[in-house]
Amino acid sequence: MSRPVEAKPSLVSDEARRGEPLPLSARASAGDEPACSGGKPRWASPEFGSIYEAHSRQIYYLALRFLGDPTQAEDATHDVFLKAYRKLGEFRGDSAMRTWLYRITINHCKNLLQTWHQRHMVNNADDSLWETAPASTDSPLRVLEIKELGQRIQNTLAVVSDEYRLLLLLVADQQMSYEEIAALTEQSADAVRGKLHRARKAFIAQFQKSA
Amino acid sequence: MNLKPAKLQQQQKQETTQHAGAQQATREFPSPEELLRHDAEQIEVPRALANRVAESIAREPRPARSWWRRLFSRP
Repeated sequence: MSRPVEAKPSLVSDEARRGEPLPLSARASAGDEPACSGGKPRWASPEFGSIYEAHSRQIYYLALRFLGDPTQAEDATHDVFLKAYRKLGEFRGDSAMRTWLYRITINHCKNLLQTWHQRHMVNNADDSLWETAPASTDSPLRVLEIKELGQRIQNTLAVVSDEYRLLLLLVADQQMSYEEIAALTEQSADAVRGKLHRARKAFIAQFQKSA
Repeated sequence: MNLKPAKLQQQQKQETTQHAGAQQATREFPSPEELLRHDAEQIEVPRALANRVAESIAREPRPARSWWRRLFSRP
Protein backbone atom coordinates (compact mmCIF):
# COMPACT_ATOMS: atom_id res chain seq x y z
CA MET A 1 0.00 0.00 0.00
CA SER A 2 1.40 3.35 -0.96
CA ARG A 3 1.25 6.21 1.45
CA PRO A 4 -0.03 9.68 0.55
CA VAL A 5 2.46 12.37 -0.35
CA GLU A 6 2.47 15.28 2.08
CA ALA A 7 3.35 18.93 1.66
CA LYS A 8 6.94 19.86 2.32
CA PRO A 9 7.47 21.99 5.43
CA SER A 10 9.50 25.16 5.20
CA LEU A 11 13.24 24.94 5.55
CA VAL A 12 15.14 25.92 8.65
CA SER A 13 17.86 28.53 8.23
CA ASP A 14 21.50 27.50 7.99
CA GLU A 15 22.18 29.18 11.26
CA ALA A 16 19.57 27.06 12.91
CA ARG A 17 21.36 23.92 11.81
CA ARG A 18 24.48 24.57 13.83
CA GLY A 19 25.80 21.41 15.43
CA GLU A 20 24.43 19.24 12.66
CA PRO A 21 26.44 17.78 9.81
CA LEU A 22 27.30 20.47 7.31
CA PRO A 23 28.29 20.21 3.70
CA LEU A 24 31.71 18.81 4.21
CA SER A 25 33.64 20.58 1.50
CA ALA A 26 36.45 21.01 4.00
CA ARG A 27 36.55 17.27 4.46
CA ALA A 28 37.22 16.51 0.83
CA SER A 29 38.82 13.20 0.13
CA ALA A 30 42.53 13.11 -0.33
CA GLY A 31 42.16 11.64 -3.79
CA ASP A 32 45.14 12.09 -6.03
CA GLU A 33 43.07 11.89 -9.19
CA PRO A 34 42.25 15.19 -10.83
CA ALA A 35 39.16 13.52 -12.33
CA CYS A 36 36.96 15.07 -9.69
CA SER A 37 38.48 18.43 -9.10
CA GLY A 38 36.43 21.58 -9.55
CA GLY A 39 32.93 20.89 -8.33
CA LYS A 40 30.93 18.40 -10.38
CA PRO A 41 32.15 14.81 -10.30
CA ARG A 42 33.08 13.18 -13.60
CA TRP A 43 31.44 9.80 -13.54
CA ALA A 44 33.13 6.94 -15.36
CA SER A 45 29.61 5.64 -15.77
CA PRO A 46 27.03 8.40 -16.34
CA GLU A 47 24.28 5.88 -15.67
CA PHE A 48 25.70 5.28 -12.22
CA GLY A 49 26.09 9.02 -11.71
CA SER A 50 22.34 9.35 -12.20
CA ILE A 51 21.73 6.59 -9.67
CA TYR A 52 23.93 8.42 -7.17
CA GLU A 53 22.14 11.72 -7.77
CA ALA A 54 18.72 10.14 -7.36
CA HIS A 55 19.39 8.20 -4.16
CA SER A 56 22.44 9.53 -2.30
CA ARG A 57 20.45 11.90 -0.11
CA GLN A 58 18.23 9.18 1.36
CA ILE A 59 21.07 6.69 1.66
CA TYR A 60 23.22 9.23 3.49
CA TYR A 61 20.33 10.21 5.77
CA LEU A 62 19.61 6.59 6.69
CA ALA A 63 23.30 5.97 7.42
CA LEU A 64 23.58 9.21 9.40
CA ARG A 65 20.63 8.61 11.65
CA PHE A 66 21.28 4.87 11.92
CA LEU A 67 24.94 5.25 12.84
CA GLY A 68 24.68 8.64 14.54
CA ASP A 69 27.98 9.95 13.23
CA PRO A 70 28.46 12.15 10.13
CA THR A 71 31.95 10.85 9.35
CA GLN A 72 30.86 7.22 9.63
CA ALA A 73 27.76 8.00 7.59
CA GLU A 74 29.88 9.53 4.84
CA ASP A 75 32.19 6.52 4.76
CA ALA A 76 29.22 4.15 4.83
CA THR A 77 27.50 5.95 1.94
CA HIS A 78 30.71 5.79 -0.08
CA ASP A 79 31.06 2.07 0.60
CA VAL A 80 27.39 1.40 -0.19
CA PHE A 81 27.63 3.04 -3.62
CA LEU A 82 30.89 1.30 -4.36
CA LYS A 83 29.33 -2.06 -3.47
CA ALA A 84 26.30 -1.16 -5.57
CA TYR A 85 28.53 -0.37 -8.53
CA ARG A 86 30.35 -3.70 -8.19
CA LYS A 87 27.06 -5.60 -7.90
CA LEU A 88 25.16 -3.64 -10.52
CA GLY A 89 25.17 -6.69 -12.80
CA GLU A 90 23.33 -8.62 -10.08
CA PHE A 91 20.52 -6.09 -9.84
CA ARG A 92 17.67 -7.73 -11.70
CA GLY A 93 15.07 -5.06 -11.24
CA ASP A 94 12.85 -7.29 -9.08
CA SER A 95 12.71 -4.46 -6.57
CA ALA A 96 13.10 -0.72 -6.97
CA MET A 97 16.65 0.65 -7.11
CA ARG A 98 16.00 2.56 -3.86
CA THR A 99 14.98 -0.66 -2.10
CA TRP A 100 18.05 -2.47 -3.40
CA LEU A 101 20.34 0.33 -2.21
CA TYR A 102 18.61 0.38 1.17
CA ARG A 103 19.26 -3.33 1.53
CA ILE A 104 22.98 -2.81 0.96
CA THR A 105 22.95 0.16 3.37
CA ILE A 106 21.13 -1.70 6.12
CA ASN A 107 23.49 -4.69 5.92
CA HIS A 108 26.51 -2.42 5.88
CA CYS A 109 25.34 -0.30 8.83
CA LYS A 110 24.32 -3.35 10.84
CA ASN A 111 27.77 -4.84 10.34
CA LEU A 112 29.37 -1.60 11.48
CA LEU A 113 27.12 -1.37 14.54
CA GLN A 114 27.69 -5.01 15.41
CA THR A 115 31.45 -4.47 15.39
CA TRP A 116 30.99 -1.32 17.45
CA HIS A 117 28.65 -2.98 19.97
CA GLN A 118 31.00 -5.92 20.35
CA ARG A 119 33.82 -3.51 21.07
CA HIS A 120 31.86 -1.35 23.51
CA MET A 121 29.31 -3.82 24.92
CA VAL A 122 26.45 -1.33 24.65
CA ASN A 123 22.84 -2.48 24.52
CA ASN A 124 19.78 -0.58 23.40
CA ALA A 125 17.28 0.32 26.08
CA ASP A 126 14.75 -2.36 26.80
CA ASP A 127 11.66 -1.76 24.64
CA SER A 128 9.39 -2.75 27.51
CA LEU A 129 10.44 0.52 29.08
CA TRP A 130 8.40 2.39 26.48
CA GLU A 131 5.36 0.15 26.65
CA THR A 132 4.28 1.82 29.91
CA ALA A 133 5.47 5.30 28.97
CA PRO A 134 2.66 7.88 28.96
CA ALA A 135 2.91 8.78 25.27
CA SER A 136 0.08 8.85 22.83
CA THR A 137 0.81 8.30 19.16
CA ASP A 138 -2.03 10.75 18.41
CA SER A 139 -0.43 13.71 20.14
CA PRO A 140 1.64 16.01 17.94
CA LEU A 141 5.34 16.45 18.56
CA ARG A 142 5.84 20.08 19.48
CA VAL A 143 9.21 21.56 18.76
CA LEU A 144 10.23 24.90 20.20
CA GLU A 145 13.94 24.94 19.67
CA ILE A 146 14.28 24.03 16.02
CA LYS A 147 18.01 24.63 16.03
CA GLU A 148 18.54 21.74 18.43
CA LEU A 149 16.20 19.49 16.50
CA GLY A 150 18.76 17.38 14.67
CA GLN A 151 20.66 16.53 17.80
CA ARG A 152 17.44 15.85 19.70
CA ILE A 153 16.27 13.47 16.97
CA GLN A 154 19.63 11.74 17.00
CA ASN A 155 19.55 11.36 20.79
CA THR A 156 16.04 9.94 20.59
CA LEU A 157 16.89 7.47 17.84
CA ALA A 158 19.97 6.36 19.76
CA VAL A 159 17.79 5.14 22.62
CA VAL A 160 15.12 3.20 20.73
CA SER A 161 16.01 -0.28 19.48
CA ASP A 162 17.84 -0.78 16.20
CA GLU A 163 14.72 -2.37 14.72
CA TYR A 164 12.41 0.49 15.69
CA ARG A 165 14.94 3.06 14.50
CA LEU A 166 15.23 1.36 11.13
CA LEU A 167 11.45 1.08 10.67
CA LEU A 168 10.92 4.74 11.52
CA LEU A 169 13.64 5.84 9.13
CA LEU A 170 12.33 3.67 6.30
CA VAL A 171 8.71 4.73 6.73
CA ALA A 172 9.82 8.37 6.68
CA ASP A 173 10.85 7.83 3.06
CA GLN A 174 7.66 8.38 1.11
CA GLN A 175 8.92 6.29 -1.79
CA MET A 176 8.79 3.21 0.43
CA SER A 177 5.58 1.23 0.78
CA TYR A 178 4.83 -0.97 3.80
CA GLU A 179 5.27 -4.00 1.55
CA GLU A 180 8.73 -2.86 0.49
CA ILE A 181 9.70 -2.16 4.10
CA ALA A 182 8.37 -5.59 5.04
CA ALA A 183 10.49 -7.23 2.33
CA LEU A 184 13.55 -5.27 3.39
CA THR A 185 13.18 -6.16 7.05
CA GLU A 186 12.11 -9.75 6.30
CA GLN A 187 8.69 -9.74 7.94
CA SER A 188 5.06 -9.33 6.95
CA ALA A 189 3.51 -5.94 6.25
CA ASP A 190 1.15 -6.51 9.20
CA ALA A 191 4.14 -7.08 11.48
CA VAL A 192 5.65 -3.84 10.18
CA ARG A 193 2.45 -1.95 10.99
CA GLY A 194 2.31 -3.39 14.50
CA LYS A 195 5.93 -2.68 15.23
CA LEU A 196 5.67 0.79 13.78
CA HIS A 197 2.91 1.59 16.24
CA ARG A 198 5.21 0.61 19.11
CA ALA A 199 8.17 2.35 17.48
CA ARG A 200 6.21 5.62 17.25
CA LYS A 201 5.22 5.31 20.89
CA ALA A 202 8.81 4.67 21.94
CA PHE A 203 10.05 7.57 19.86
CA ILE A 204 7.45 10.03 21.16
CA ALA A 205 8.01 9.06 24.78
CA GLN A 206 11.74 9.54 24.48
CA PHE A 207 11.47 12.69 22.36
CA GLN A 208 9.17 14.34 24.88
CA LYS A 209 11.52 13.39 27.68
CA SER A 210 14.36 15.14 25.89
CA ALA A 211 12.54 18.53 25.73
CA MET B 1 0.41 61.57 32.99
CA ASN B 2 0.27 58.01 31.81
CA LEU B 3 3.23 58.24 29.50
CA LYS B 4 5.48 55.27 30.05
CA PRO B 5 9.15 55.86 30.51
CA ALA B 6 11.02 55.21 27.26
CA LYS B 7 13.05 52.42 28.83
CA LEU B 8 9.94 50.50 29.92
CA GLN B 9 8.35 50.89 26.48
CA GLN B 10 11.48 49.58 24.85
CA GLN B 11 11.59 46.62 27.20
CA GLN B 12 7.94 45.76 26.50
CA LYS B 13 8.55 46.01 22.76
CA GLN B 14 11.53 43.70 23.05
CA GLU B 15 9.50 41.17 25.03
CA THR B 16 6.72 41.23 22.42
CA THR B 17 9.26 40.67 19.65
CA GLN B 18 10.85 37.79 21.53
CA HIS B 19 7.44 36.22 22.16
CA ALA B 20 6.55 36.47 18.47
CA GLY B 21 9.87 34.91 17.59
CA ALA B 22 9.23 32.01 19.96
CA GLN B 23 5.81 31.46 18.41
CA GLN B 24 7.34 31.38 14.94
CA ALA B 25 9.88 28.81 16.07
CA THR B 26 7.19 26.47 17.40
CA ARG B 27 6.33 23.68 15.02
CA GLU B 28 4.13 20.69 15.32
CA PHE B 29 4.69 17.34 13.70
CA PRO B 30 1.79 14.91 13.76
CA SER B 31 4.01 11.83 13.81
CA PRO B 32 7.65 10.79 14.19
CA GLU B 33 7.91 10.07 10.46
CA GLU B 34 6.81 13.62 9.66
CA LEU B 35 9.49 14.88 11.99
CA LEU B 36 12.10 12.60 10.40
CA ARG B 37 10.97 13.66 6.93
CA HIS B 38 11.50 17.28 7.89
CA ASP B 39 14.87 16.38 9.39
CA ALA B 40 15.94 14.54 6.23
CA GLU B 41 15.16 17.61 4.15
CA GLN B 42 17.56 19.68 6.23
CA ILE B 43 20.49 17.32 5.87
CA GLU B 44 22.93 18.00 3.06
CA VAL B 45 24.94 15.18 1.59
CA PRO B 46 28.61 16.21 1.91
CA ARG B 47 29.59 17.76 -1.43
CA ALA B 48 32.93 15.97 -1.48
CA LEU B 49 31.23 12.60 -1.26
CA ALA B 50 30.07 12.52 -4.88
CA ASN B 51 33.65 13.18 -6.00
CA ARG B 52 34.96 10.53 -3.67
CA VAL B 53 32.52 7.93 -4.99
CA ALA B 54 33.24 8.94 -8.60
CA GLU B 55 36.99 8.59 -7.97
CA SER B 56 36.59 5.15 -6.43
CA ILE B 57 34.42 4.00 -9.30
CA ALA B 58 36.90 5.33 -11.85
CA ARG B 59 39.49 2.97 -10.34
CA GLU B 60 37.14 -0.03 -10.55
CA PRO B 61 36.91 -2.36 -13.54
CA ARG B 62 33.60 -2.07 -15.34
CA PRO B 63 31.06 -4.34 -13.65
CA ALA B 64 30.08 -7.42 -15.61
CA ARG B 65 26.68 -7.17 -17.26
CA SER B 66 24.19 -9.72 -16.13
CA TRP B 67 23.29 -12.59 -18.49
CA TRP B 68 19.73 -11.31 -18.90
CA ARG B 69 20.92 -7.83 -19.89
CA ARG B 70 23.34 -9.32 -22.43
CA LEU B 71 20.51 -11.47 -23.77
CA PHE B 72 18.09 -8.58 -24.21
CA SER B 73 20.63 -6.21 -25.70
CA ARG B 74 21.46 -8.58 -28.57
CA PRO B 75 20.48 -7.22 -31.95
